[in-house]
Amino acid sequence: MSETMTADIADRPGSDPAAENSARSETRRQASSIEMQGLHKRFGHDTVALDGVDLTIRAGEFFTLLGPSGCGKTTLLRILAGLEAPDAGALAVGGRDITEVPPHRRSVNTVFQSYALFPHLSVRDNLAFGLKMRGLPAAERNARVDEIAGFIQLGDLVERRVDQLSGGQRQRIALARALVCEPDVLLLDEPLSALDAGLRGQLQVELLRVQQRLGMTFVFVTHDQDEAMVMSDRIAVLNGGSIQQVGAPREVYERPVNGFVARFMGHDNLFAIRARDGRRLTTALGTLDAEDPGDGALLLIRPETLDLLPGAVEGPNHLPATVAERLYRGSHAEFRLAVGDTTLQAMVSNRGRHLPEVGETVTVTVAPEDLVTLSE
Amino acid sequence: MTDTGVTASSSRSLGRETRHLLWTVTPGALWILLFLVLPSVYLMSVAFMSSGPYGLPQMPLSLDAFERLAGFGFLGWSPGNLYTLLRSLWQTLVSTALVVVIAYPVAYYITTCRAKWRPLLLLAVVVPSWTNQVIRSFGWMNLLAPGTPLSDLAASLGLISPHMGLYPSNFAVTLGLVYNFLPFMVLPLYSAFERLDVAQVEAAQDLYANPLRTFRHAIFPQTLPGLLAGIVLVAIPAFGMYVVSELLGGGKGMMLGNLVASQFAGAANWPLGAAGAILMLLATFLGLFVMRRLGKRLGGGEQVVI
Amino acid sequence: MTKRTLHRGLAVFWWLTLAFLYLPLAVVVLFSFNSANSSARFADFSLRWYHRLMGNEEILSAFGNSLMLAVVSSLIALVVGGVLGYGMYRHRRRRLGWLILVIYLPLVLPDIVFGIAEMAFFVQINEWTGWLSPGLGTMIIAHVTFQIPFVALIVYSRFVGLDPALFEAARDLYATPRQRLVHFMLPTLKPALMAAFFLSFTLSVDDFVISFFTAGPESATLPIYIWGAIRKGVSPEINAIAALMIAAVAIAAMLSLVFSRRRSP
Repeated sequence: MSETMTADIADRPGSDPAAENSARSETRRQASSIEMQGLHKRFGHDTVALDGVDLTIRAGEFFTLLGPSGCGKTTLLRILAGLEAPDAGALAVGGRDITEVPPHRRSVNTVFQSYALFPHLSVRDNLAFGLKMRGLPAAERNARVDEIAGFIQLGDLVERRVDQLSGGQRQRIALARALVCEPDVLLLDEPLSALDAGLRGQLQVELLRVQQRLGMTFVFVTHDQDEAMVMSDRIAVLNGGSIQQVGAPREVYERPVNGFVARFMGHDNLFAIRARDGRRLTTALGTLDAEDPGDGALLLIRPETLDLLPGAVEGPNHLPATVAERLYRGSHAEFRLAVGDTTLQAMVSNRGRHLPEVGETVTVTVAPEDLVTLSE
Repeated sequence: MTDTGVTASSSRSLGRETRHLLWTVTPGALWILLFLVLPSVYLMSVAFMSSGPYGLPQMPLSLDAFERLAGFGFLGWSPGNLYTLLRSLWQTLVSTALVVVIAYPVAYYITTCRAKWRPLLLLAVVVPSWTNQVIRSFGWMNLLAPGTPLSDLAASLGLISPHMGLYPSNFAVTLGLVYNFLPFMVLPLYSAFERLDVAQVEAAQDLYANPLRTFRHAIFPQTLPGLLAGIVLVAIPAFGMYVVSELLGGGKGMMLGNLVASQFAGAANWPLGAAGAILMLLATFLGLFVMRRLGKRLGGGEQVVI
Repeated sequence: MTKRTLHRGLAVFWWLTLAFLYLPLAVVVLFSFNSANSSARFADFSLRWYHRLMGNEEILSAFGNSLMLAVVSSLIALVVGGVLGYGMYRHRRRRLGWLILVIYLPLVLPDIVFGIAEMAFFVQINEWTGWLSPGLGTMIIAHVTFQIPFVALIVYSRFVGLDPALFEAARDLYATPRQRLVHFMLPTLKPALMAAFFLSFTLSVDDFVISFFTAGPESATLPIYIWGAIRKGVSPEINAIAALMIAAVAIAAMLSLVFSRRRSP
């Protein structure tokens, strides 16, 4: 199997934008791709954590595993790290099959959710731990630690004790400790989930900067779809141990393949298609024209694609509605609209024009190219 | 994330995990099985044998030992062993009750002191129990011997006849037991007091104003798990006491432990001693069982049996 | 009754309790300096009993036995109990009820039953095979038996208090199984192992009953020697040995205070 994988990967280098990007940046080594084939894992007798996962992660990519708690994303990450063995299936990094390789012989490092800094060691010894285990001489260890400390701008944190660090500082030390080993792949297990919103945004930007400058393959686990969209080159959405969709953030957000992905990405406007006639789709809202309707059973209308016209206006893709609720958010306003006997969410950016009041009669319009169908 | 079963079994790692379990756990478990469980089983089996020359056990199997423990000997029934048993129970009860009465205010006092002094105060209570119990009993022998100030005082009050010491006596044994086990009660009570919900106590002070009722309704129920743990730690070893009653009690202060021990030395009769040991084991497990049940019913049962 | 008088009353009670706890020990120390051979009347200050100790071969060998027993048994218990504690931690999700029962047995068994069971067993084995004749060997076996649970529980609770991801971080950062032991587990466990050794040592020195029943003719420890001397008739020399043992405990108490202060500044 690993032979076919090598062949696959040999075809690809240079073909993807992330790899080209990394070639320009200060890469130390060639980034590595990851191949997963038919990964199965279960716990006990009846808990299926992974139900046959096939996935290719490209070299130098910032790849996110996204899903709700219990979807299998952390199990997948732990299998990549070697902390968990799959029941079936194969895993290759950089074309080399590592399914049976123990974690301490994999060139893969993890940033743990709890950071897992060793309490008995200083920050410097924490950073040097991996290098020491690999037998690097002290002088080189120190040089590499200083280098990474400069790169992540740790400043005088390096000389502190672990118990003197704040949450954000611990997070950055944990990142530096993994990066200093220069692994083929860096795994990040919800590394920002323990931080408050402000710090989180700041560290998201920092992580992205680090990844772009190193061109290293990052595999990031999160349950937060906003974070996933900000950070990722590509996202895999998981549910119940299997992959639902893989794609760039825009693709996953704008063209979800099924109801689960759509709802997980935050979409509420999903309507069962009752009848279709060519490009004309009939739902509880009424009949709408779609440019490329596909053959899905659900119609997705994203709130931000809707426009509201005051009063009753006739026209194609025009729906009469009443404002049931309005949430004013400053930059935009969110509306809950009664259309027939169902409700529709709309989001309108605030450009200083009239914002309809509750109870007002309006007309909702949507462009045919913004309508997407998907399977349940 | 909750989807990480960490060490849960997977077909590929099951064998390795089991081997790991075996090599880590076997030496310690085997040591205890071989050098404690097996000997205990052997000792129990001795109780069902007959007493041979030098008191050593021999065939045939018999219940002689239990009959003799109940007082039936060659000369008919005598109440000596029964007295010893009752005395053991009585001493255990009295000393445990006294320990509780002393330990409550002591533990409470420590919690009212400043946090930085508390470890020192706890240490002060515990340190005497680090010295060997033979030495501790010896100290009391010195204090209670005839002619010492304490004995003279007792004699002048008419509590004992002049020229008699306070030891050997049942009183000296009770004192020795209280002295021995006081720290074992202070520690669990202290940790119960430390977790005490102050808001409840203050509410009770508002409601009742009377310190006794405050204690009964707000403090006592909250410290009950600690109290039960303390009772287990005090009553079980007190019932099996050997050193204190041997040194401070004399012939009339004998407890079950002394009766059992003497069957393996001077008045050798191993089966009789083993029968006494079975009685002690039964009392131990009964005590643990009752406390566990009580603890579970009253909440906080997990802390009770340490 | 005001809060203030209650607290004052408690303070008085506290000092009385302390007096009760330390009086017997103080008397032993005081009378070890008594020039007269009496436990009722203090005559003059003298070191004669301490001088006598130095020349007493029996006491010196008992001291040696005590030390040997405590050190050897604590070291064995540290290894066996430490590995056991680690195993209990690693496999804590399995059903180990039977193991917990076995581990708690030495803690709940009355001393006297413990000692007699071992004695009877050792005598029987010795009769059949010639092994395990009573002496330091059998005492060490018995002491290790009651030390193992304490060591295992201390090590176990230290591990339970750690972030489980630390074990994975060590594996993730290229540490081989041996390196994980040397560079992660042992350093992290160091305070727990020191506490376990200290406790084992104290338990061993503190024990009389189990030692008494498993000892041989040549392996009397200090408590056994003191016991014998008391039974033969009280001699002030006992005060002197006992005072030295109390001094050792006092030093240990101060050390533990210094260590605990240093750990939590």
